[in-house]
Amino acid sequence: MAISRHGKHTRVIGISPNGPTGHGDEVESAYLAPRFEEEDFPWKQILGYIASLVLTALAFGAVVKHILPPAFLIGFILFLAVLQASLQLGVFMHLREGRGSTWQIVTLTLAILMGIGLVICSIWIMTFKSGVS
Amino acid sequence: MNVPIEPESQSTQMPLEFTSEHESLKILGFWAFLATDFLLFSSLFAVYAVYQFRVGMSGPTPAQLFHLGPVIFETVALLTSSFTCGLAVYEMRHHRLKGTIIWLAVTIVLGAAFVATEINEFLGDIALHDTWHRSAFLSSFFTLVGTHGSHVTFGIIWALTLLIQLAGRGLTQVTTRKVYMFALYWHFLDIIWVFIFTVVYLSGKIL
Amino acid sequence: MSNILARLFPPKTRRPDEVVIEIGIILTMVFLVYILTSKKKWGWLWREWLTSVDHKRIGIMYLISAILMLFRGGVDALMIRSQLMVPNNHVLPVGQYDELFTTHGTIMIFFMAMPLIFAMFNLAIPFMIGSRDVAFPRLNAMSFWLFACGAALFNMSFLVGGSPNAGWTSYPPLTELAFNPGVGQNYYLLAIQIAGIGSIATGVNFLITILKMRAPGMTLMRMPMFVWTSLVTSALILFAFPPLTVALAMTMLDRLFGSNFFTITHGGMPMMYVNLFWLFGHPEVYILVLPSFGIFSEVVATFSRKRLFGYTAMVWSVLTITFLSYGTWVHHFFTMGAGPGVNAFFGVSTMLIAIPTGIKIFNWIFTMWYGRVRTPVAMLWALAFIPTFVVGGATGVMLGAVVGDYQFHNSYFLIAHFHNVLIGGTVFGLLAGVYYWWPKTFGYKLDEHQGRWFFWLFFIGFWITFMPQYALGFMGMTRRLYTYPPGLGWSIPNLISTLGAFTMGAGFLVFVYSIRYSYKHGERDLSGDPWDGRTLEWSLPSPPPAYNFARIPVVSDRDAWWEMKQQNQTHVIRVNAQDVQPIEMPKSSSIPFLMFVAFFVFGFGMVFEWWWIAVLGGLGVVALLIAGTFDYEDHEEIHPETIRRIEGSLGRLQG
Repeated sequence: MAISRHGKHTRVIGISPNGPTGHGDEVESAYLAPRFEEEDFPWKQILGYIASLVLTALAFGAVVKHILPPAFLIGFILFLAVLQASLQLGVFMHLREGRGSTWQIVTLTLAILMGIGLVICSIWIMTFKSGVS
Repeated sequence: MNVPIEPESQSTQMPLEFTSEHESLKILGFWAFLATDFLLFSSLFAVYAVYQFRVGMSGPTPAQLFHLGPVIFETVALLTSSFTCGLAVYEMRHHRLKGTIIWLAVTIVLGAAFVATEINEFLGDIALHDTWHRSAFLSSFFTLVGTHGSHVTFGIIWALTLLIQLAGRGLTQVTTRKVYMFALYWHFLDIIWVFIFTVVYLSGKIL
Repeated sequence: MSNILARLFPPKTRRPDEVVIEIGIILTMVFLVYILTSKKKWGWLWREWLTSVDHKRIGIMYLISAILMLFRGGVDALMIRSQLMVPNNHVLPVGQYDELFTTHGTIMIFFMAMPLIFAMFNLAIPFMIGSRDVAFPRLNAMSFWLFACGAALFNMSFLVGGSPNAGWTSYPPLTELAFNPGVGQNYYLLAIQIAGIGSIATGVNFLITILKMRAPGMTLMRMPMFVWTSLVTSALILFAFPPLTVALAMTMLDRLFGSNFFTITHGGMPMMYVNLFWLFGHPEVYILVLPSFGIFSEVVATFSRKRLFGYTAMVWSVLTITFLSYGTWVHHFFTMGAGPGVNAFFGVSTMLIAIPTGIKIFNWIFTMWYGRVRTPVAMLWALAFIPTFVVGGATGVMLGAVVGDYQFHNSYFLIAHFHNVLIGGTVFGLLAGVYYWWPKTFGYKLDEHQGRWFFWLFFIGFWITFMPQYALGFMGMTRRLYTYPPGLGWSIPNLISTLGAFTMGAGFLVFVYSIRYSYKHGERDLSGDPWDGRTLEWSLPSPPPAYNFARIPVVSDRDAWWEMKQQNQTHVIRVNAQDVQPIEMPKSSSIPFLMFVAFFVFGFGMVFEWWWIAVLGGLGVVALLIAGTFDYEDHEEIHPETIRRIEGSLGRLQG
C-alpha cells in the first residue's frame, strides 16, 4: 500500500498524537469534532425546503402589507433572511461535516463577523455628510 | 440524527467524499474560498447600501425600478434548485448514481431558468434606458445582482462538467467530492440570493 | 494600423535615458533567449521550472521575481530621490515623476513584498510542519503564475502604452477616464486584480496546509512561531483581499464600461473607493509585517540558543493584532471628516494595536536576555529591526491621534513613518529570512562578510534616508511633491535623504554581488543544520529532496528538532532501508503556466480595450479550468528504489 503524500497508511484520523501515522490536526475541541448524518428518507431536506418557502412568503407578505414601520420592517425581514441562511447552512451545507477538526466553522464565523462589521462600518463611515461639511 | 463519531469508526462511517485525505482537504479549502467570496459579496452589499439612494439627477429610485413578480419567480426557482441540489447529495450519499445525475440535472434546469429570468429583467431595464450609465444606484445594483448572476452561470457550467464526469466515472472518491463542493457553492449562492432579495428588492419597496 | 500603433506607443517625448533602458530590457530578453537556445535549456526550463508544482521550486521562482522587482522598485526610488535632491530641479519631467512614485509604491507592495513573503511561505512552511508539500500543489503553481502575470503586465506598461500615474493607492476621481485618459491606469487595475486572485489562492492554500498537514503530534500550540504568523496572514489575505477586488473592479467598470461609481455627476462617491481600498489596505500592512514577526521569532530564538520567551503571549498577541488590524482602516482617511464619532473609534482602535505589538517586542528582547547570542547576518537584521520598528510604531501612534493626523496627513512625516515600519519591519524581516533559509534552499550559505557590508550600508542608509523626512514633514513638505523652491529649509534634509537612498542602493548591489559570489564560493552546507536550528526544517538535508521527508517526524514538543538533538534522538528522522515505501507526489502540470498566458492575453486585451483579444484570453481561462477538472492524473509515485538511492547518497539511510 502506498503512503499518501501526507504520510499516512490508514484512513483513520484524530488518533493519539504519538502514533506513528497520525496527524497534527487532532480534534482539539469537542465543538470542532465532525458529525455526519445518516437518514433513510430526506426529511430534513423536505422540511428545510418548506421552511425556506414559508420564510420567503412571510418576508414578502410583511413588505406588501407593510405590517410594521419601515425601520422595524427592515429589521424583521433581515431577521428572516438570517434565519433562512442558517437553515441553508445547517440543513443543506452540512456545516459540521469534515475530517479532523471542522475548521470551516471557525473560518466562516470569522468571515461572517468581518462581513457584518464591514457593511455596518462602511454605512456608518460613509454617511459623513452630517458630520463635517 | 447527529452523532459524534468515534475516531476508530470514522473511516467506515464517513461518506465517500471524505474517505480520501487528499480529497477532503479540497472540501475544507473550498469552505475557505466561500469565506472570501462571502466577503466579496459583503463588500458589494456595503457599496449597494451606501449607494442605494444616490440616484443621480434623473435616475429611477429602487421602488420605481423593481418589479417583484419576476423576482419572486427567481427566488422560488433558486430555492427549489437548492432543494434539488440537496437531494442530489442525498442520493449520492446512498450510492445511487442515477438519482444523483437526475437531481443535478433538475438543479441545472432551475438555475438556467433563474439566469434567463434575470437576464430578461435586465434587458427590460435597459430597454427603458435604466442602464448603469444613469446613476450610482443603478451601477451598484447591476454590479451586485450581476455578480451573483454570473456566479450562478459559472455554477451551471461547472455542474454540466460534473454530469459528464459522473456519467463517465460513476461515484468515486473524486467525483463525489466534486459534487459535494458544487453543492456547497450552490447553497452558498442561495444564501447570497436570500440577502439580495431582502436587502435589494424588498427593502427597495419599503424605503 | 496607425491607430493601433498610436495606442501602443502614445506620442510623447522619449528621453535618451528611457530609450537606453528600453533597449537594455529588449537586449536582455534577446540574450536570455539566445542563452537558453544555445545551451539547449528550453526543455529543462519547461520540465523543471515552468511546469513544476514543487513548493521548493515555486518558492525559488518567487524569490527571484521578488529580487528583480526590488531592483526595479529601487531604481524608481533612486530616480524619485534624484529629482528631489536639490530645489528647483527638473532632472525628470513632471509626468514621468508621477509615474515613478506610482510604480515604486505599487511594485514594492504588490510585486516585491508579497512575492517575497510567499517565497518564505513556500520555502519554509512545509518543512517546518513536517509535510511533503502544500495542500494544493497545482493551485500553488497557479498562484505563482498569476502573480507573474500581474507583474509582467504591470512592468510592460513602461514599454507599451504608458505607466499608471495616480499613486499606488490610485484614488478616484483622478483615476476616472475623464481625468486620466491613457491606458496606464488600466494596467494598474488589471495587474493588481490578476495578482490578487493569485494571492487569495495562496491564502487558501497555506491556511489549509497549516491547519491540516502538520506532522503527527504538532498541535497548534507546538507550531513554530513563523507557522503561526503565516496561518493568521493567510486568514487575513482571505478577509482583506475581497474589498480590494471590489474597489478595483468598480474603478475598472467606471473606466471601461461607463458605470457611475466614482463619478460625481451621477451620484457617485469617490470616497467609497478610499473606504474599500483601506478596508484592504490596512490588513495588508499586517499581511506584510506579520510574517516578518514570525521570522524574527525563529531567528532570535535560534541565535540566542533559547526557547522563544512567552510563546503563548506571542500567539495571543498575533491573534489580537490580526483581529484589531481589521478595525482600523479609517485612520488612513481621518481627514475625510467622517465626524468625531467615527474618527474617535478608529483612533482608539489604532492605538490599541500598539499593546500586542509592544508585548512582542518585549518577548524578543527577553528571548535574547541571558541567551548565548550569536550575530550572523540573519540575526543582525533581527537586532536592527527592534529599534527601527519601535520608532516606526511610535510615529504610527502619533498618526493615529486624530487631531495630530490632520497636521501630519500626507506629509513627509507619513512617508517616513510607513517606510520605517515597512522597511524596518517587513524588509528587514524578509532579508533575515532570506539569509536564514538560504542554505536550506540552495545548499550553501550567503557570504557572511559581504552580508555585513550589505547590512551596514542598507541599515545606515535607511536611517540617513528617512530621519530627515520626519523633519521635512514637520516643515510642511507634502508627499508626491514634484519640486520645491530654495529657502524653505528643505534643501539640506532632502540632500541628506537622497544620499542615504544611494547608500541603500549600494547595499543592494553588494547583496546581488554576494549572491553571485556565494553561488560559486559560499560555504557549502553538508549537515543540513548550519545554524544549530530548532525547528524541523533543519532536520532535512540542504537542499531537501523532492519528497522532503523520507519519514514523517513525530513531534512531541515545541522546537521539535532541538528536542531531538537534546535527547540524542536525531536518528529517528532516518528511514530504514527495508521500511521505504513508495511516496505519492503531485505531478507537474502545464495548466498553471498556460493560465499565465491566458490571463496575460485577457489582461492585455482589457488594458487596451481590444475586446476580441480579451474575450480570447477569457475563453482560454475557462477552457483551462475545464481541462483541469477533467485531468485526473495529478499525482505520481516515487519508487522506493529511488528514495533509497537518494537517501543513501545523502548518508541518511539506516540499516
